Amino acid sequence: MRSSANGSNATASEPRVTAVTGRGGFADVAKAAWLAPSLLYVLPLGAALALGLQGAFHTGAWRALIGDTQFLPALRLSLQVGVASALLALMAMLVLVPALQGSAWWPRVQRGLGAVLALPHAAFAVGLALLLMPSGLLARLLALATGWDAPPDVATVQDPAGLALIAGLVLKEVPFLLWNVAAQLQRVGQGGEIERQLQVAASMGYAARTTWARVLWPQLLPRLALPLLAVWAYSLTVVDMALVLGPTRPPTLAVLAWQWLLDADEAMNRQGAAAAALLAALVALGALLALAAVGVLRPLLHDRRTWGDRPRPRAGAALARAGIGAAAAVYLAVLAMLAFVSLAGVWSFPALLPQAWTGSAWAAVVRSGETLWLTAGLALGSAATGIVLAVAWMESTPEHWDRRAAPLVYAPMLVPGVLLVAGLYRLTLGLGIDGHYSGLWLAHSLYTAPYVLVALAPAYRGYDARYERTAHALGRGHAAFLWRVKWPMLQAPIVAAFAIGFAVSVTQYLSTQFVGAGRFATVTTEALTLAAGGQRTLMAAFALMQALLPALVFLAALALAHQQVRRLGAL
Amino acid sequence: MLELDAVRIATSERVLVRDLSARVGAGEVLAVMGDSGSGKSSLLAFLCGSLPDGLRAQGRVRLGGRDITALPVVERRVGILFQDDLLFPHMSVLDNLLFGLPAGPRAGRVARAEAALAQAGLAGYGGRWPHTLSGGQRARVSVLRAMLAQPRALLLDEPFSRLDAALRDRFRAFVFAGIRQQSIPAVLVTHDPQDVPPGASIVRLSAEHDSA
Repeated sequence: MRSSANGSNATASEPRVTAVTGRGGFADVAKAAWLAPSLLYVLPLGAALALGLQGAFHTGAWRALIGDTQFLPALRLSLQVGVASALLALMAMLVLVPALQGSAWWPRVQRGLGAVLALPHAAFAVGLALLLMPSGLLARLLALATGWDAPPDVATVQDPAGLALIAGLVLKEVPFLLWNVAAQLQRVGQGGEIERQLQVAASMGYAARTTWARVLWPQLLPRLALPLLAVWAYSLTVVDMALVLGPTRPPTLAVLAWQWLLDADEAMNRQGAAAAALLAALVALGALLALAAVGVLRPLLHDRRTWGDRPRPRAGAALARAGIGAAAAVYLAVLAMLAFVSLAGVWSFPALLPQAWTGSAWAAVVRSGETLWLTAGLALGSAATGIVLAVAWMESTPEHWDRRAAPLVYAPMLVPGVLLVAGLYRLTLGLGIDGHYSGLWLAHSLYTAPYVLVALAPAYRGYDARYERTAHALGRGHAAFLWRVKWPMLQAPIVAAFAIGFAVSVTQYLSTQFVGAGRFATVTTEALTLAAGGQRTLMAAFALMQALLPALVFLAALALAHQQVRRLGAL
Repeated sequence: MLELDAVRIATSERVLVRDLSARVGAGEVLAVMGDSGSGKSSLLAFLCGSLPDGLRAQGRVRLGGRDITALPVVERRVGILFQDDLLFPHMSVLDNLLFGLPAGPRAGRVARAEAALAQAGLAGYGGRWPHTLSGGQRARVSVLRAMLAQPRALLLDEPFSRLDAALRDRFRAFVFAGIRQQSIPAVLVTHDPQDVPPGASIVRLSAEHDSA
C-alpha cells in the first residue's frame, strides 16, 4: 500500500523533489541532524510494524488460519463490510460535495464537521447501537405508528450481514472525507480558483454537476488518495466499532484476529498475527485493484470529459440537503441516546422517555477515579509528546522530505490496528515496558504523533518566513525567535493539534488493552468491555465520557483561539 | 444585440450601479470603466447570471431580443474571460478547446479546434499542457476556448491586466478581432483607458464613498 500512496504523492511533488536533490546531494548527509525527530517517530513505528509482521512468519499459523472453520465466513464478511462501506462513503462524497459546495449549506456543513469528527468512533458505535437495537429509540418511534407493545424480534444491530456496521462506518467516514475535500478545496481554491472554474464552465453552458465530474474531481481526487485509502483500510480492519455493531458468529476477520491475539494459547496468537498480516495484505491488494481500475477507467473518463455535451442540471441538491439533515439528526439522536440511557432507571419498551431516572451509573463513573485519571493522564502525556515530535519534525525536516514521508506519517491510519498493536506489544516486551505506563505512553504517542503532525502542518508550513528574517535582522537569535515570536503566533493551531492528539489517545482501544496487558482501564476500554455485557446504563455513561473528555479539550482549544483572535486579530 | 435596460445593483449599504442603460451591437464593445470597488465586477456577475448573495439587482437584460434577466447561467450562453486564463490544468490545450466546443462528431470538433489554434498562431500546440505555455499563449487559448463555445455575448473582466506591456497590445488586437469576427456584442471591464478599443462606447462607474 505504501508504494501506491507514494506513487500518487510523487506525481504532485516530483518536479520540486528532483530539483532539491539535484542541488543538495551528499553534502546534506553531513547535516543530517534534522533526521533525528523523524527517526524518533519512524524507528519505533518501523520496529512495531516489523515485529507485527514477524509474528506472522510461521507456516503453521497460516495453515491453522486457513483450516479454521470461522476463517472463510469471517473473511467474506470483512470484505463485504469493507468494500460496501468504502464504496458507499466514496459515492456519498461524490454526490454531496457538488450538491452542497457553493450553496449556503457548505459553510454550515463545514462548521458541523469539526464536532462530528471529534465524536469518538466507539462512543458513536455504542450510541448508534442503542438507537438501532430492537428496543432502541428508532423502534419506539416506529411503535407509535405500528402499535408494537414489545420490541420487534429482528436483529437490527450485530445483524449477520453487517448492515448496522456498514451504516456506522459510512456515517463516520463521510464526514472524514468531506473534511478532507474541504481542506483540499481551500488549498487548490485559494483566491476563488474553484468558483471561477465553475463560473467559466457555466458560462460555456455546463451545469455544476457536470463541471465537477469533468473538471474539478479529476483535479481533486488524486489529492484525496491517502484519505480514501485510509477509509478503505479502516472499513476493512476496524475492531472497536465492529465489536459493538458487527455480527458475532462469525465476527469480522479483524475482530477474530483480535480475539486470537488475546488468547492465552500461543499458537492462537500466531494465528491472530497471521490474520492481521492477511488484513494488511488485503488493504494493499484493494489499493492496487483500485489503482488498476483507475488505470482502465482513466482513458474512458478522460475521453468523456471533452465530448462537449451539456447535460441539463438535475435537481439533486434537495436530496443531498435531506441526506445531510438526516445524518445530522442521527448524530444528535446518538448523543441523546447515550445521555438518556446513562440516566435511565426504568425504560420499558414503547415509552419514548425513561419512566425512572437514576444517577447511579454516573456515580460509578466518578467513583472509578483511577480510570478517569489514567485516561486523561495518558492523553495529556501522549498529546504533548505528539506536539514535541511534530514541532521538532517541522522545525528540522525540509519540506520536500515530509511530503515524501506522507505515507509513513499516514501509516498508523493505513496499517490494520491489530497488526500494529501486536507489533507494539512485542516492542514493549523487548524494551521491558509491557504492561507498564511507559509502554502505554509509547503506544499512544505513536498514534497521536501522526495526527498532530497532519493537523499542525498546514498552519506551520503556511507561516510567513519573513518574520524569521525580521527577528534575526533585529538581532535576536533563533531560540528567541521560536519562543517569543513563532510559537506564540502559532499558539492556536498548536493547541488545536494538541486537542486532536488528546482525542486520539482517549479513543485508543486496541493499544490500551493489548500493550497494557488488560491491566489498565480507560473510559474507552470500559465502554467496550461493558458493551459485551448487559450493563447498558454504565456502558452509555462511559461511552459519553469518552466523547466528553475530548470535547472539553476541543472547547478549551476553541476558546483559546477565539481569545487570541480577539486580542490580536486574525493571524 | 445586448441591451441593458435601467440596470441597478446595490448592496444593503450602497448603490453600485445606478440606472445603467446601454445597447451593444454585434461586434461592438461596451467599455465599463471605474476604480476597484466601483461595482464593475458586480455588473459582469449580473450579466452572466452569477450575482453573489447580498447584492440586489433591478432592471432587464436582453440578448438578441430575448429577456435573459432571470435565465440561469448555464442557459444564457454568455461567455466570460477573467484576468487569469483559467485553463483547466489537468487537460491538454486541445482538450480545453474541445471542452468549449458544442457536442458533435469527434473528428469535426478536433478539426475545428486545430483550425482555431492555427489561426491564433498556435498550430501544433494541441497536445501541450497549459503549464508549458507562456502567459500570452495561455491567454490566447483561453479566448479560443471561450469563442469555440459559441457564446451569444462575451464579457471581459480586465483580461489584459496580468500581461506585460509588450504582449498586451497584441493580445488586445487578437481579442477584439475575435469579437468582430464572431460578430457578438462584448462588455469590457477595465480601469485602464488604453484597453478600450477605438469606437467603443464607454460607461464610467464611480465608487461612491458616501456611506460604508
